[in-house]
Amino acid sequence: MTALEDRIDLYGQDVETGRTSLRRVVEPDDDEIARRFRDGDEQALALAYERWGGQLHGMAVRAFGPGPDAEDVTQQTFISAWTGRNGYSAGSGPLPAWLVGICRHKIADVWAKRDRQRRQSEAVAADVASRPGSSDDVDTRVADRVLLLGELDRIGQPQRGIIELAFFEDLTHAQIAARTGIPLGTVKSHIRRTLERLRTRLEVDGAALQP
Amino acid sequence: MQHCSPEQLALAALREPLPAADAAHLADCAACRGEVAALQRAVDALAVPALAAPAPSVTPPPRVWDAIAAATGVSATPAPAPTSEPEPAPAPVVELRPRRTRWLAAAAAAAVVGGLAGAAVLTRDDAGAVVAATTLDPLDADESSGTAEVRERDGVRSLQVDLDAPSLGEGYYEVWLLRPDVSGLVPLGVVHQGANSVPLPDGLDLGDYPVVDVSVEPLDGDPAHSGVSVARGSLS
Ligand SMILES: [Zn+2]
Repeated sequence: MTALEDRIDLYGQDVETGRTSLRRVVEPDDDEIARRFRDGDEQALALAYERWGGQLHGMAVRAFGPGPDAEDVTQQTFISAWTGRNGYSAGSGPLPAWLVGICRHKIADVWAKRDRQRRQSEAVAADVASRPGSSDDVDTRVADRVLLLGELDRIGQPQRGIIELAFFEDLTHAQIAARTGIPLGTVKSHIRRTLERLRTRLEVDGAALQP
Repeated sequence: MQHCSPEQLALAALREPLPAADAAHLADCAACRGEVAALQRAVDALAVPALAAPAPSVTPPPRVWDAIAAATGVSATPAPAPTSEPEPAPAPVVELRPRRTRWLAAAAAAAVVGGLAGAAVLTRDDAGAVVAATTLDPLDADESSGTAEVRERDGVRSLQVDLDAPSLGEGYYEVWLLRPDVSGLVPLGVVHQGANSVPLPDGLDLGDYPVVDVSVEPLDGDPAHSGVSVARGSLS
């Protein structure tokens, strides 16, 4: 029952399968952790870390390998989630999915930091003035990611969920329709409008990131 | 030929295959290709394996929590990470290219199985004539299985579902009819363990929607398919 386990882990649905789990009987369910987290219950931060810290750290390690950058991503994800918990509402979806979204921001931030460091070290090593536009070039894709993840946060549902399934779970529009029950034509037009919105964001603000 | 529709261009930017006529036009039209390239900048920035979910779980070292506790001032402590490995097997890394076709593969496999089972003898009794039938085969490691029969009586069709499945602590089973490529689905209703009968919509072409799908739905008020299918078969 792979799909169902994914669902429990990632989306926090407490769907029992008949295979009862002692852990789930004695511990608060995901919704309760989310509610207590939002209310500022410190124990809920520890419970969220217990339950989803491994998955989030797994994302960070996949991006950077084990070590300080990955650990920093995991730390910063939970710290930002806790200090920004007022920004989490029922409309934000399940808590673990919200945490994954924050984790993506932190990963993009580390890429941007590394890109800054690369440019600084190259600037020290080379006479930048004699080679304009070379070593101080921002890595466009790194900058785009930071900008686009911010724009995703501003997109409402179901558009955001649809484009996230395309981007992050690599589903086709037909698979998204089957997964969500949203009609195929609606999925297609949401995908089009969202991609056009992201393109506009890049065209208006992406260039401004260039130094 | 006229240009590709904006929807087709967006799908092309996601690297979905287009219908042959659109694909041929795209290959020859600089304007449409330029549009795809402009839309693709966002796809290429975000649809990368490092941002996909889920990732295999990795237990963080204890100093990670120490830093979180220090930064937030939180004094609660998480239970120590398990020393053995009772965690479920980590979910595989999502490969972003080529696109996954798990749903399509599952439906195709169900179609093959259903084709074999389709030799079911057509019978007639009080519940009407059996006009199509299939076995419902478990997906993945699920223990759910059963049979489904379309019966017609006085011009009214119904689907008889005999379901052998574990009881659910929460949530419920729902039966659907799907297109073989999962490009459309029709919800038919709630089913339980044992014998069920659900009416079929008038005018529904079973040739278009031959795949019988049983899903587990959470009690969340969301009428959409949960994406969690436990058994399937293809009517014939
Ligand atoms: Zn064209």
